[in-house]
Amino acid sequence: MIKQAISVLAASCLMLLAACAPSSTQPTAPAPSTNQPAGSGSGSTGEVITLTLWDYWSTDAQLKALDEMFAAYQKVRPNVKIERTYVPFNDLKNKLLMGATAGQLPDLVAIGNPDLQSFAAAGALADISAEIKEWGQTDKYFEGPWSSTMYQGKNYGVPVGSNNLALYYNEDMLKAAGVEPPKNWEELKQAAQKVAKPGVYGLVAAGIKSEEGAFQFLPFIWQAGSDLNTFDSQGTVDAITLWKELVDSGAMSKEIINLNQQDVAVQFSAGKAAMMVNGPWQIPFLQKEGKVKWGVVPLPSNKQGGTILGGEDWAITSTSKNKEMAWDFLKFTQEPENILAFAKAMGYVPSRKDLIQDSYWQNDPILKAFADGMEFAKARAYGPEYPKASVAMQEMMQQVITGAKSPQDAVKEADAKIKPLIP
Amino acid sequence: MQQPEVRTMGQKTMGIKSVKTKGIRSWSSYLFVLPGLGFLVFFMFFPIAYNFWLSVKDVKVTNLNGEQHFVGFANYATIFKDELFTISLTNSIIFTGLSILFQFVIGFALALFFNKRFPGRDIMRSLMLLAWLMPIVITATLFKWMLAGDYGVFNYLLQTLGVIQQPVSWLTEADTSLYGTILANIWIGIPFNMIILLSGLQSLPDHLYEAAKLDGASRFQQFVHITLPLMRPTILVLLMLGVIYTFKVFDLIFIMTGGGPVNASFVLPLYAYQLSFITFDFSLGATVASIMFLILIALSAVYLWMLRKEEQTL
Repeated sequence: MIKQAISVLAASCLMLLAACAPSSTQPTAPAPSTNQPAGSGSGSTGEVITLTLWDYWSTDAQLKALDEMFAAYQKVRPNVKIERTYVPFNDLKNKLLMGATAGQLPDLVAIGNPDLQSFAAAGALADISAEIKEWGQTDKYFEGPWSSTMYQGKNYGVPVGSNNLALYYNEDMLKAAGVEPPKNWEELKQAAQKVAKPGVYGLVAAGIKSEEGAFQFLPFIWQAGSDLNTFDSQGTVDAITLWKELVDSGAMSKEIINLNQQDVAVQFSAGKAAMMVNGPWQIPFLQKEGKVKWGVVPLPSNKQGGTILGGEDWAITSTSKNKEMAWDFLKFTQEPENILAFAKAMGYVPSRKDLIQDSYWQNDPILKAFADGMEFAKARAYGPEYPKASVAMQEMMQQVITGAKSPQDAVKEADAKIKPLIP
Repeated sequence: MQQPEVRTMGQKTMGIKSVKTKGIRSWSSYLFVLPGLGFLVFFMFFPIAYNFWLSVKDVKVTNLNGEQHFVGFANYATIFKDELFTISLTNSIIFTGLSILFQFVIGFALALFFNKRFPGRDIMRSLMLLAWLMPIVITATLFKWMLAGDYGVFNYLLQTLGVIQQPVSWLTEADTSLYGTILANIWIGIPFNMIILLSGLQSLPDHLYEAAKLDGASRFQQFVHITLPLMRPTILVLLMLGVIYTFKVFDLIFIMTGGGPVNASFVLPLYAYQLSFITFDFSLGATVASIMFLILIALSAVYLWMLRKEEQTL
């Protein structure tokens, strides 16, 4: 009977063990030396060091660019293997946070630049201020992308590459209406109203209640000379009033509050809108799907020009056991020829001032609009509480556009929520 | 009566030893429960308990790896005071109530219809299931397009029929967005209601209806006095499952409206999601999840109580 009891116990233990065994999601080759220090990185010992990386790149072009970069790195460091894990965009933040609490993070991550500060605050990323100082290339970068890699005066990463928002326009429609691509808000309003006709809106932008909506609206606040820390000001009211007037006059659909940036691109490429606010990542889509002739100009200015920075940052995690090697890889990615090759293949705009002068971006009128934007592209470097402030701003946008509240009231109310969150 | 006899005989021949091991035997039989129990503890009790534990602490993104404090029920107080909680609770109740009402009534009508014999019935019945089989992402996106104000087919239809003059932005108007999502959810839920009710209807004995017919009961009287009372257990289970399922609906609303415009279609699951995964207030998110859990537990208790009453009357 005791035997029976033991066998039952053993069986149940086995079952539990089987259930708890790590599922082999990655075809990990035996990596005996992952836990060993990276040493000098010279590779003289012949040991294989594996660097693990999480990112959300998924298109064929992006994967090809990554493979090429890994291959180039392997030539320099034959003993280093980079093992990449794809994490869907929407899961990456959650997975990083879970990994941070469980102490199971990869060595490297590529994360969206507005999120870096949150993860730095959560203690998921390694402070690389000393290495950055020794490296000494900070001044070569645009201020926007560089500021997104810092939190409370410390460095937590380096830029992967940048993008920003600009104004796409339908050449035929603007020509037919006899208007030029708008350079300021007044021209934008007039142009949008002039080209609008039944079935065609003048302008389309993303006003959805998510970070995408906030991303598209923030540049207008900056153009009007306002910001999140001075939210309750005339500039913010002007910016949201501009959108509201465009909607009320029929130049912009009120459905924009349920459109994301891809929806916006679809409407534009289908000829349902004459202009749109969007980023360079839509260029391949428009070239492939678009039945319209289009061009790109920088976003119209008001008190000043302004656009918003998108793109990713490389970062080393706080739990990485190969920090030295990981930093070595980051330095490799930042070498001019590597930045250029990677940016061209991935559709980024370089984050470095000198590299943007490359003919690839200067001679193409479409890419030039985005390259020109880099000078004043601003990052959402507002600290770890930014997501909450963003939600408050999204609510404000929707309240005004649906007409639930006046611009003044909605802005005042949102400011009360944002003020304690943004230093 | 033969079987126990044989067993006692067998035990007798085994002698005194078996009496001694009796204690161990009952103990060892508990061991057989262990794997199942382990599974329950691991995958059900632990997450629930952990979620509750999280809801009485002050975990957010800035102290995820740092110092965390026990704050008692302060998070619950914060949530109850939040205006967004009242909005999402109200919306959740409207969403669940209306969805279940229409799903059930239409599902029941269709079940009665498909309970009849007519040519093509089986094909029609399986086609009806399509709505239930389709991934929510697809259903939600389809309804988002159909209900779109500028180019939606729904507006086109209503305008052609002359019901409305101007296109209505169903999903971006505060007055209609919640009802737009309810419409989609009703469409999804009808087949499930129909199938469960139909299987209940088919198990009802024919002779009762024959007897009622002989006594001159009308169709309606047959329905009220035979079908409904006999279907009570099925209906109870169905409504219970429906309420639990509908109360937790997240993906459909998330895709169709994202809770907007402003917060017009914001429901509790979206509220919990926003707190946990957008603003990274993990403890507050866990608090909302706990509140939802308690509401559903209370509903389940009512169901169990009704079920027991049902059994007693039988």
